[in-house]
Amino acid sequence: MKSSMMIAVAGFLGLAATIGVANADDLVIGGAIGLTGSFAYGDVPAQKGMQLAIDEINAAGGIGGKTKITLKLKDSRSDPSQTAIAAQELIDDGVNVLVTPCDADPSIGAGQTAQQAGVTAFSTCASSPNLPLAVGDHMFMNFPADNVQATVSAKYAIDTGYKTAYILISPDSAYTQLPNYFKTVFEKLGGKVIAEDNFSMGQQDFGAQVTKIKSLNPAPDVIMTAAYEPDFPAFIKQLRAAGVMIPVIGSDGIDSPTTFALGDVAEGVVFSTAGYAAPGSPLEAFNKKYKEKYGSDPDTIYAAIGYDLIKVLEAAELKAGSTDRAAIWKAVSELENVQGATSTITYKGTAGIPIRQVALIKIAKGQREFVRQEAPDPALIPPAKL
Amino acid sequence: MIGAGALIVPIALIALIAGTLLGPAEQRIVIIFLINLIAVVANGLYSGNSGITSFGHLGFMGVGAYLSAILTMPPSLKATVLPNLPGFLAAAHMGLNEAAIVSMLIVGVFAFVVGIPLSRLSGSAASITTLAFLVIVHSVLNGATDFTRGSQTFYGVQRLTTLPSLAIWVAVAIFVARLFRDLPVGLELRAAREDELAARAMGVNIAQRRLIAWVVSAMLMAVAGAMLAHFLGAFSPKKFFFVDTFSIIAMLIIGGIGSVSGAVAGTAVVTIIMEIARRIEEGPLLPSLGFPQVFGLTQLALGVGILIVMYGRPGGLLGFLEVDDWLVRRGRSLVGVARSEALRSTAGKLEVVGVSKKFAGLVALDRVSFELSAGEIVGLIGPNGSGKTTTLNAISGAVPPSSGEVKINGSAVQGLSADKIARRGIGRSFQNIRLFKNLTVLENIEVAVAASAKSGSDIRAEALAALAELSVEHLADRRAGALAYGEQRRVEIARALALRPQYLMLDEPAAGMNSAETQALMGLLRQIRDKYGLGLLLVEHHLELVMRLCDRVVVLNKGQMIATGTPSEVQNDPKVIEAYIGLRKQRGAKDNKNTEIGRKAV
Repeated sequence: MKSSMMIAVAGFLGLAATIGVANADDLVIGGAIGLTGSFAYGDVPAQKGMQLAIDEINAAGGIGGKTKITLKLKDSRSDPSQTAIAAQELIDDGVNVLVTPCDADPSIGAGQTAQQAGVTAFSTCASSPNLPLAVGDHMFMNFPADNVQATVSAKYAIDTGYKTAYILISPDSAYTQLPNYFKTVFEKLGGKVIAEDNFSMGQQDFGAQVTKIKSLNPAPDVIMTAAYEPDFPAFIKQLRAAGVMIPVIGSDGIDSPTTFALGDVAEGVVFSTAGYAAPGSPLEAFNKKYKEKYGSDPDTIYAAIGYDLIKVLEAAELKAGSTDRAAIWKAVSELENVQGATSTITYKGTAGIPIRQVALIKIAKGQREFVRQEAPDPALIPPAKL
Repeated sequence: MIGAGALIVPIALIALIAGTLLGPAEQRIVIIFLINLIAVVANGLYSGNSGITSFGHLGFMGVGAYLSAILTMPPSLKATVLPNLPGFLAAAHMGLNEAAIVSMLIVGVFAFVVGIPLSRLSGSAASITTLAFLVIVHSVLNGATDFTRGSQTFYGVQRLTTLPSLAIWVAVAIFVARLFRDLPVGLELRAAREDELAARAMGVNIAQRRLIAWVVSAMLMAVAGAMLAHFLGAFSPKKFFFVDTFSIIAMLIIGGIGSVSGAVAGTAVVTIIMEIARRIEEGPLLPSLGFPQVFGLTQLALGVGILIVMYGRPGGLLGFLEVDDWLVRRGRSLVGVARSEALRSTAGKLEVVGVSKKFAGLVALDRVSFELSAGEIVGLIGPNGSGKTTTLNAISGAVPPSSGEVKINGSAVQGLSADKIARRGIGRSFQNIRLFKNLTVLENIEVAVAASAKSGSDIRAEALAALAELSVEHLADRRAGALAYGEQRRVEIARALALRPQYLMLDEPAAGMNSAETQALMGLLRQIRDKYGLGLLLVEHHLELVMRLCDRVVVLNKGQMIATGTPSEVQNDPKVIEAYIGLRKQRGAKDNKNTEIGRKAV
């Protein structure tokens, strides 16, 4: 009896020791991400997308038929301090690549740790283009950066024939200053921003801004803003209620069910986002696989973005031919046209900001109407602002 | 400072072990633990001593973090990251410790300004105000984009926090907090936490004490912020908001909000619980048992931990205890030093001139006038609800009179705060005993001694002498709330005496005493009067005691003074008899307090 207990315990310990331990030649990805807390909105879907890609690749025998991928997760609790600890632990554990949260605060700290250790780091879905700038050459973004989105929007505005624009900015966050990038590209392409206003996030009353727009003579051809909930719904309602029917361009922050539920006031609004599931597109295929694995459609584009991240690493490992940290980093910096779920992705010559296709969606009768999907001309992308 | 040493030595050991033996990841865990420790000890310095749980301290941490980070950032980097800084900040470039000190001083001034209105509030009103303060600071950090980059990540901060310097700051924080607790300022603040009314009656200026604690704790919080900023390297205002506020408060509550040892224990216990839970959720254990890997265990474990501690020990793991309470107190001398000569003159009088008190239309006191000379014992009697306690409250400033004058030795004091009146020479006890329950007996007395002692005198020794006066020095280290009733009465009188009043007002000192105890009390009161030349104002239902002890008696009925004179004059006054008999008819015979006069009247 006693000896059988011992065997059971020994067996249990042996089992415990084998699970979660990677083989020496596996590609080990460490995720110090916000599985609980305020960043879980992005990090949990991204992690599910990553896991989907990993399972798919491993089931096919690994990268290039030999290198399996292991994902080691540590919950950063959406706290910069915990992210710093988790990142250090994962790097000490010998991970080949580090994945950091969907937010610049913890990503900078974790990225700096990775940078020092020569480990390549990716943020799941932070979109602020100064993230790589703040960390160094080992920090890569995954999501279409604010300036990349703005470049595609500005190009679309010019192509549509808009000559003048009004931009609405909040200095409260980096993201809500995205229209500044729009302005740079729009004016480079021959357009003119004739007026701009600031707002405070959460201000609710846009009476002053709406009055100003209404009084502009001549009226601008288009309005561009990166406001999102609850500011965007308040703004668009008050704008349309004042009878101003000027077209509005937004950004991925309004790619949410709330926007589509706004009804008539949102009709015709165009916004940029990471991808569009056109029939036959890789994104449609991803959505199908996601539903098979998890039983429901993905809630947000971040799931597909997580899938993209693994596809990038797969390509990098193939190119490097090794899981060595330095080799992986070199390979990632030279990647071109990797096919992900949302887009093709290029890191070559971009200082950590991916060149991706950005989709433009128009809201038509509460539904998504595809406008265009394209990668911006790298020469047009404005440099990240500090 | 054995108390601080007992806490600092283990912390220093942890830092030393972490610095020499542990890997970089474990070092980071220890660094976060130590930063949390400064924050928890700082918050405890205010919340624990004042009894007002502060939700606002993370605001000071945030301001300290931003300020210090701006001060250490190289000017060249500041020119690009924060181009709109004012000149002196743009040019400043200092090391972490200098920056921490400068931030500490600036935050101190800031805390002083916002603390002035806050320190006048008590209880939950004050707590909610600290919460509002946190929200305001958060908005300001988000709005002051020229200094903080708003809600964007503030980066480019030098990662200068090292274990040795952090350990020294932790030692400073623990030392300051431990010292503060036992200094008169901390002692008086703890007394006010236990009972504001009694603390005021012992001469404690509560608002001022709260303000001092608020400023000192804010300054330590700024240091915690500076250390965190230079550990993280990048942060934004959301790091100094609700989530972290609640984790700091959870540590404080688990350990015991009432002591520095509790703050240290709470931080350690929470860190250990979280680290264990984290290893379970990350590790291979759950999958090997057939469970899926679940994240969120840390918060779950913390929640369960709080529940268990609150259920088993509502005051936290250590409650109000300090580790040195066990280590040191056993061997301490309990020999008192007789206090220096009475400071107050033994001539003069306390005058009550036409004092009225109205409560929303109800006239509780109606033009009451009497006087009490030094060395005299005056009894104040009357049926229940006749205004006796209201009279004491009107004199002591606890409930200022609506009109009329109260003069101490000729100078009017009505309208002054209760603590000022106490320091002018009026001591009192309370009808329902109001000791500072969670303080020791000795500390109870020390509060009163501190208010009246000459600077430089040995407060503890004088307090012991005051205890000896009432033969209760053997109770010195007992918790006041744990004493028997009769002991509490004696301690309360000792406390009132320790204030060295010229006039002492006792509200039913014999209540609940048997006849032997009452006899002893009478002897004691006479002795006190003879020794110190005090004027004693005695509210008492025990008429035998009043008649035998008092030189004069004042009788109140329904807020009006109906008689005054020697005990025998009063006993035979028809109005007094009527008041008591009339009462007896209405009430029936069961109220035996009135039987004496009733019987005599019949």
